[in-house]
Amino acid sequence: MEYLFHIMVITGIYIILTQSLNLVIGYTGLPSLGHAAFSCVGAYTSALLALYFGLSPWFGIIIGACAAIAIAAVLGAASLRLKGDYLALATLGFGLIVYSVAKNWVLLTEGPMGLPGIHRFSILGFQLSEAWSYLLLVIAFVLLTNLVLKRIVNSPFGRVLQGVREDEVATLAMGKNVNKYKITVFVVGAFFAGIAGGLYAHYITFIDPSSFTVMESITILLMVVFGGMGSLTGSIIGASILVLLPEILRFIGLPSIVAAPLRQMMYGLLLVVLMLKQPMGLLGKYRFR
Amino acid sequence: MFFQLLFNGIIAGSAYALVAVSFTVIYRVVKFFHFAHGIVYAIGAYFAYTLYAVHGVNFIVSLLLASMLTGLIGITIDRFVYSPLRRRRSPNLVFLLASFGIFIFLQNLLQLIYGVQVLTLRTDPVKEGFHFLGAVITGTQILIVGTSVIVTLGVWLFVKKTKLGKAMRAVADDPWAASVVGICPQRIIVASFFIGSALAGAAGVLVSLETNIDPTMVMNTILKGIIASIIGGIGSIPGAMFGGLFLGSAENLGIWQIPSGWKDCIAFGILILFLLFKPGGISGVRAEKECL
Repeated sequence: MEYLFHIMVITGIYIILTQSLNLVIGYTGLPSLGHAAFSCVGAYTSALLALYFGLSPWFGIIIGACAAIAIAAVLGAASLRLKGDYLALATLGFGLIVYSVAKNWVLLTEGPMGLPGIHRFSILGFQLSEAWSYLLLVIAFVLLTNLVLKRIVNSPFGRVLQGVREDEVATLAMGKNVNKYKITVFVVGAFFAGIAGGLYAHYITFIDPSSFTVMESITILLMVVFGGMGSLTGSIIGASILVLLPEILRFIGLPSIVAAPLRQMMYGLLLVVLMLKQPMGLLGKYRFR
Repeated sequence: MFFQLLFNGIIAGSAYALVAVSFTVIYRVVKFFHFAHGIVYAIGAYFAYTLYAVHGVNFIVSLLLASMLTGLIGITIDRFVYSPLRRRRSPNLVFLLASFGIFIFLQNLLQLIYGVQVLTLRTDPVKEGFHFLGAVITGTQILIVGTSVIVTLGVWLFVKKTKLGKAMRAVADDPWAASVVGICPQRIIVASFFIGSALAGAAGVLVSLETNIDPTMVMNTILKGIIASIIGGIGSIPGAMFGGLFLGSAENLGIWQIPSGWKDCIAFGILILFLLFKPGGISGVRAEKECL
């Protein structure tokens, strides 16, 4: 049972990551390959504040998400004028820089040793140390994320985003400041990624750079594409299936030295097959441009 | 100290240049980032390792066989993934993601077969190298630098002078117009994949004589190859060579002042700076139009 709750907590965190990336890549058409980097910033900020200043995780994850926002704003303002795969390349490079900083700035982040003993959340003196209690918290965050993102995509603002994806020049001609919309969306995506990172750090209570690799960003992207570009419901399905599916490997009793590469191979194969057969994903409404 | 770092930079840069030149051969005709190229490079090294270090096959024979194998793998990837996507006129992003998928699949397949151990083809004890301007250079390192110069020149002459090379340039410029004058773009693309992948495999073998190779590092290798091509102006073969040397020197002179763990940061920082301020690379203007 504990195990089941654990998987559900992880699924919840991935749903937040997937939905927020879907806003960026699915709705607005900005290929971002650095989503895990934003959650890395969120996780480390929150964890360090808790460890050094004893700050409550409630404030910690908000400040962490704000740090992610700040970085996203700088990166976005600089790079969002790049087109298509060049933007993908720039965000990929950014993801690798963040990973490399987390690994090499040993004074602050302890490098590859990681940060152990991160505080857990507590509500009114009641510590959320059991998986089931944490699950309730994560569910609350997932619902909140879902609500906010749904409001965004169904608002006039969201329609402009889809305009940016479908035809940037036409949207520009309608008098919309496309660049401003792009940066805003990038920042919103980074905010939720930061939240997800914080939730992860305070749940596992240990973080190290290896949780925030480029592979992780691609996995999140795969969840978006699998569930469907531009479908928030699809993202829930995509994240759930792709978290649960590799758990089967654990049940057949494969040793982890075999199971870990097999899981990645499954993801890689799935990505290729999706691109070949169904590039818009399960519930996707839009195709790549 | 300065000369040692500069030479280290040139040696590392020559390895990047080999990746960059082989990547460019493919990029010119397909115009998307073929990330799986990095894993093709690693497969070359691993296959040669199996032949040479495990079964004791002659080194030159292992090198040639490994490069044939990677060439065939390049064609296979094109045949089963890129070619169907091309027929459907998929956007570049779909190619990019498919390429990541292949990358992840093959990378973990390698890891499954060979484990996570680091691999090196260096069998004989390290000999003391030559002294030159207060720096030490080994024979292997000279071999790598020399090969990279020869390969770049060779590919450049091949593309400029031979019939196939000219056809490759025609397809790179305009596949449709090329097909009008009787060049089949599909066949040229297959040929480019074979040549590029075979070169990458050979590069992987050579570089593993000098440094360790493990499957988890391949992402960095291909990215640095791509960064090198962007620095030199993407699509240009001498540019790729120059970009490789530039990147290698920048990384190695950078660690004069800061710890060596930050090498990757320097490289990816250079990538972002170039994309933002000089997306066409040092010389090119053509690429600039494509990415903005």
